[in-house]
Amino acid sequence: MNLPLEALLNRTRRHFLRDCSIGLAGIAMNQLAGTSGLKAAAMSPRVPRIPARARRVIYLHMAGSPSQLDLFDYKPVLQQYDGKRCPDEFIEGKRFAFIKGVPNLLGSPFSFQRHGQSGGWFSENVPWMARCADDIAMIRTVHTDQFNHAPAQLLMLTGSPQFGAASVGSWATYGLGTETDNLPAFVVLASGGKTPSAGKSLWSSGFLPTVYQGVQCRTEGDPVLYVSNPPGLDRYGRRQTLDALNELNRIRHEQTGDPETLTRMAQYEMAFRMQMAVPEVMDISREPRHILDLYGARPGHVSSMENASDPRTAARPDDAAFANNCLLARRLLENGVRFVQLFDWGWDHHGVSPGEDIRNNLPVKCRQIDRAIYGLLTDLRQRGMLEDTLVVWGGEFGRTPMQQNNRPELDYVGRDHHPFAFTMWMAGGGIRGGQAYGETDELGYFIDRNPVHVRDIQATILHCLGLDPFNFSFPFQGLDNRLIGPDDTARLHPALLS
Amino acid sequence: MNRFKSAPVFHASAVIALTLLPFISRGVPEGPDFHQAVRSILAKHCVECHGPDEGSRKAGLRLDRREFMTAERRDGIAVVPGEPSSSLVFGRITSKDPDDVMPPPDHGDPLGEEEIDIIHDWIKAGAEFPEHWAFVSPQRSLPPEIGESQAMAPIDRFVEERLVQTGLSLQPSESPAVLLRRLALDLTGLPPDPSHISDFEADHGESNYRRWVEYYLSDPAFGERWATQWLDLARFADTKGFEKDLRRTVWRYRDWVINAFNADMPYDDFTRAQLAGDLLPHGSDQDLLATAFHRNTMTNDEGGTDDEEWRIAAVKDRVDTTFQVWMGLTAGCAKCHSHKYDPISHREYYQLFAFFNQTQDNDRFDESPKRPFPTAGQKIEERTMERSIDHLRDRLEAVRQQNRSAYESWLDGIRQTLKREGFESADAIVEEQVAGVPREIAAAVLAGDIATVAAFFWSTIHEPSAQLHRQIEEKEKKLADLRKHFPMIPVLLDLPEKDHRVTRIHQRGNFLDQGETVGPATPEAFHQFDESWPKNRLGLAEWIVSPRNPLTARVQVNRVWARFFGRGLVETEEDFGTQGVPPSHPRLLDWLAAEFMAHDWSIKWLCREIATSRTYRQSAKADEALLNSDPENRLLSRGPRFRLSGEAIRDSALMVSGLLSREIGGPSVFPHQPDGIWKPVYSQDKWVTSPGDGKWKRGLYTFIRRTSPYPAMLTFDGSSRESCQIRRIRSNTPLQALTTLNDPVYIEAAQALARNTLTHSLNGNGSERIEWIFRRVVSRSPSPEEAAVISELLARRLDYYQTDPDSAVRMATDPLGPLPENINAAEAAAWTNVANVLLNLDEFLNKP
Repeated sequence: MNLPLEALLNRTRRHFLRDCSIGLAGIAMNQLAGTSGLKAAAMSPRVPRIPARARRVIYLHMAGSPSQLDLFDYKPVLQQYDGKRCPDEFIEGKRFAFIKGVPNLLGSPFSFQRHGQSGGWFSENVPWMARCADDIAMIRTVHTDQFNHAPAQLLMLTGSPQFGAASVGSWATYGLGTETDNLPAFVVLASGGKTPSAGKSLWSSGFLPTVYQGVQCRTEGDPVLYVSNPPGLDRYGRRQTLDALNELNRIRHEQTGDPETLTRMAQYEMAFRMQMAVPEVMDISREPRHILDLYGARPGHVSSMENASDPRTAARPDDAAFANNCLLARRLLENGVRFVQLFDWGWDHHGVSPGEDIRNNLPVKCRQIDRAIYGLLTDLRQRGMLEDTLVVWGGEFGRTPMQQNNRPELDYVGRDHHPFAFTMWMAGGGIRGGQAYGETDELGYFIDRNPVHVRDIQATILHCLGLDPFNFSFPFQGLDNRLIGPDDTARLHPALLS
Repeated sequence: MNRFKSAPVFHASAVIALTLLPFISRGVPEGPDFHQAVRSILAKHCVECHGPDEGSRKAGLRLDRREFMTAERRDGIAVVPGEPSSSLVFGRITSKDPDDVMPPPDHGDPLGEEEIDIIHDWIKAGAEFPEHWAFVSPQRSLPPEIGESQAMAPIDRFVEERLVQTGLSLQPSESPAVLLRRLALDLTGLPPDPSHISDFEADHGESNYRRWVEYYLSDPAFGERWATQWLDLARFADTKGFEKDLRRTVWRYRDWVINAFNADMPYDDFTRAQLAGDLLPHGSDQDLLATAFHRNTMTNDEGGTDDEEWRIAAVKDRVDTTFQVWMGLTAGCAKCHSHKYDPISHREYYQLFAFFNQTQDNDRFDESPKRPFPTAGQKIEERTMERSIDHLRDRLEAVRQQNRSAYESWLDGIRQTLKREGFESADAIVEEQVAGVPREIAAAVLAGDIATVAAFFWSTIHEPSAQLHRQIEEKEKKLADLRKHFPMIPVLLDLPEKDHRVTRIHQRGNFLDQGETVGPATPEAFHQFDESWPKNRLGLAEWIVSPRNPLTARVQVNRVWARFFGRGLVETEEDFGTQGVPPSHPRLLDWLAAEFMAHDWSIKWLCREIATSRTYRQSAKADEALLNSDPENRLLSRGPRFRLSGEAIRDSALMVSGLLSREIGGPSVFPHQPDGIWKPVYSQDKWVTSPGDGKWKRGLYTFIRRTSPYPAMLTFDGSSRESCQIRRIRSNTPLQALTTLNDPVYIEAAQALARNTLTHSLNGNGSERIEWIFRRVVSRSPSPEEAAVISELLARRLDYYQTDPDSAVRMATDPLGPLPENINAAEAAAWTNVANVLLNLDEFLNKP
């Protein structure tokens, strides 16, 4: 194929996509008689370009960023030097969000133990997760470029610290399409009483067509906005109105011949199926008791953190909001959803208020997720889904080995934002579990071995899904935009892959 | 061979390939396309050291222009057209000698095999270095002479010429009702009143059509409709963005845009005001208000952020937005490195940055500098109060004049008493009261401080004067209160010269890694910056609206065209650079651009020219033959038909149901939004539905929180306004269906529409009502077949609601409220279902 032709085709394909003319003339005409015609275009599942190990993803983001030093990255030396001045070489020329002057080191107040056959370290805060030690690839050397929440979350989940780029879930659905025609392909669930700092941009489709945008399913009110019929109209009545609507649209289509009308009719039918399917899949009370118990889920639970002015102080260890979302995530994945993104808010433990205290509040937050994540991994494994489901866990950065000592008179302790080294983990399809990858120095400050940039994490996710991260792009504003950014700095870490 | 990173392969690609073949087969050069293939290789490997930047240029060689490449040098010729083997460049990039190879090994990776092939083939084919079409000024050419030219508008002659080449021709005009609906929606964003339709159906002659064009052009709704799109470009929002995303008052700017469109402000003035209204020699208050355009950048209030970092992010956004909006170029790439495709170097980016780098704002929490911009109402109130204070002062003065002697005798009396009682100096007074006055006053008398004494007399002793005094004080307090409530709007203001910042190049875009110092300048590849212009934002604005600028007018006429036709003559509205799609009708684009400037940059002229063309008025009907020969209507072989914007759908539903508030401007409003959407971090800000008609104002007035935009707008591809959005894509999704079917806003509209239908003809029979409601919603009468479908639905739903009165009441009243007494609940509910169906018709959601 000669070059200009290929270029023009690529370009036109991208404009085809950008306009998202799902029912573009000619293509859709013959296929839209039935609803399956829809899937023929933007949302049809596509065969990945490199061998795929995972078909779906559940990404657990702890907004605010949990302390790796109190959960997974065991640092006995740091405990030994607890309360001592931080050596100068660690702070010279560094920018911090809040730390001023020379801070003191803060050893973890929690005990650590080895777990599983692989012998990975887990703190006493996460005893249930520790039981999954042999499934989990702990990555202790993640680093990022951003040290404020919103930009760091954006970089982690969209590949750019600025607004406007496409989220990882949108990339995955853009690359792989969907396997369900009655649920959104990319679903977002949030717990913890607040949405993350960067808001809805974290599941935005950015420059990709909006069909790839994440759909937030809510746990109060309609699970998907406006999925319920208005008061006074039941499902049977809705069917009657849609039949009339379809008929009127069909009559008009005979006049105008606009193929987009047929697409719209198909979308109304999908909306009608969603009205049935979404509440069904979101209803966890349909799960048997032993499954609910496995996660610690409680149907109908209303979190005390919802609508609290500071949800962190309203956090209770037995809060089931996150557990319910984990169970929902499994139900969604089981029903063909491609990417489920969970956010849990309240992990920003600076130690300047009761809700930000590492000693008291961190264990409470851990209790909310610990059992639930164990339940999720176990449930997926039991169903044979863990083999082809990628599970990712992490925050947007880490926390400092030093105490954030802004107000020493307070009885709380906490840590500042730390972009230089933190822990994330992955499990499931494509990941070699039961290992700890990379090493930080003895204080957990810098990386000693095997640094993993957030772009490497993104590359790994795409790679597991069978999408070549280096050649998976979308042309926009003069650049072939990729999730991993314009430079080829990202790399895959073979040791992490199975 | 695939030399480009490509999007995933679609089943559709084969079809696209076939339909595009006619375009591709024409004018493809033998060698690789310069803009598509060659320029990026030069930019990536060569131009950094062999480019326009003298400071970093090596060996005095430039590889960014053909004349330098092909010039004779001491050691030979860099590029000999047609002869790769004699070209120095080709020898160097293929050399195996590390001392000889280019780029030098310590400088960058060698060229890949494919890249070398491209350079080889390009030189072989003659090393053409064509000027990109969009960087050459538009030519003011005459429309082509074709057929019955005399009778045809210039636009139609360009379009028809192209159609004829494909064996097509302009379609006949759309039916009057549908045409007027199209016109009203395009010019005002609102469907026409049914009475307009009747008028135009009765007389759809040319002169009556033109009369309606003028009518809608002068409707204040025109400004609202065209402002809506501009606000996407201006990234206008009601909050500051980022984590805290607190509120920001900037709606006065939105109203400025509406007024500017309504007043048909020339686009060059419109540009100067927004980019540099603060620097205009005789700039008004309104010009200063316009500069809020660039204060719509985000402010980061997150704890622990570095203000300078986010100030710089805002300034970069201003550079990028300015180039996107006015010149259709993506300057943003050049933040980190020279643009790979368009002629903006890394250095030139920071020269543009320097224009914007002198404003006072600095990512501060209070968003200073701000200035008060009272509304018209507030201004009248202020003026009234000032007048009444002036009037009181006049009276006071008169009273004083008249009672001069009373004052003097009072003063005289005090003096005498003080003298009598032996007080000679202020220090001697110890009593609280002396001579019937407080100690300080007595002291003032002794010290000869007459001003204090007089003030005391007139404000305390002399009752008529004191009364006036109190009145003035009271009014002044009220005036101060009024002024306190003037909206304070962030504006652009430059620092005094002595405080000017130094601009340095940010290496790889990193503001912590600053390089060479640069001053304000415009990119070399474009027209020159006139010596008479000031080297500040005003000068930059002049450079942008200069008639010599090849892009500004083209970009704007293309943008307006795209709103009418659903696609620009240049499809990539956001990219006129070498990576954009070339224009479908280049001569038409240039003619429009040239005439637009010649007609004083008038948007209304442009709208009129488009709306009165036959091209615009064509029937949108697409049969199979037409779909095959012009599938996406690029050739304009039929009328435009495409989905309305989220705002227009909302406004239309409110309009036809009679709920729409026609109040123009004012603070942003809060229509129905489900609970639990707003959960901002660190803020208790709550969404409280606007009382009264506020919730029924047009969509452009809906409050936009950047981290949580109004969901119904977002679902219809609305912008979250975090950064400049040049065009919205048009998706077609089930979530949109759920919104217009079930969102209380649309249910409320359906309820109101149902009630109006019933009260319109209380004794009317079903078919009259069906005719009435149908015309109201889609501006035409239903066919018998359509009426039958509606009638059947109505009967079924009426049956149902008559057996279920509770449901009937809920369907008819929630959320609109109790029914009037003369309306039966079951009937209202059944008609609400009908209205709900009609408000979801494809025809209603589309511009017909």
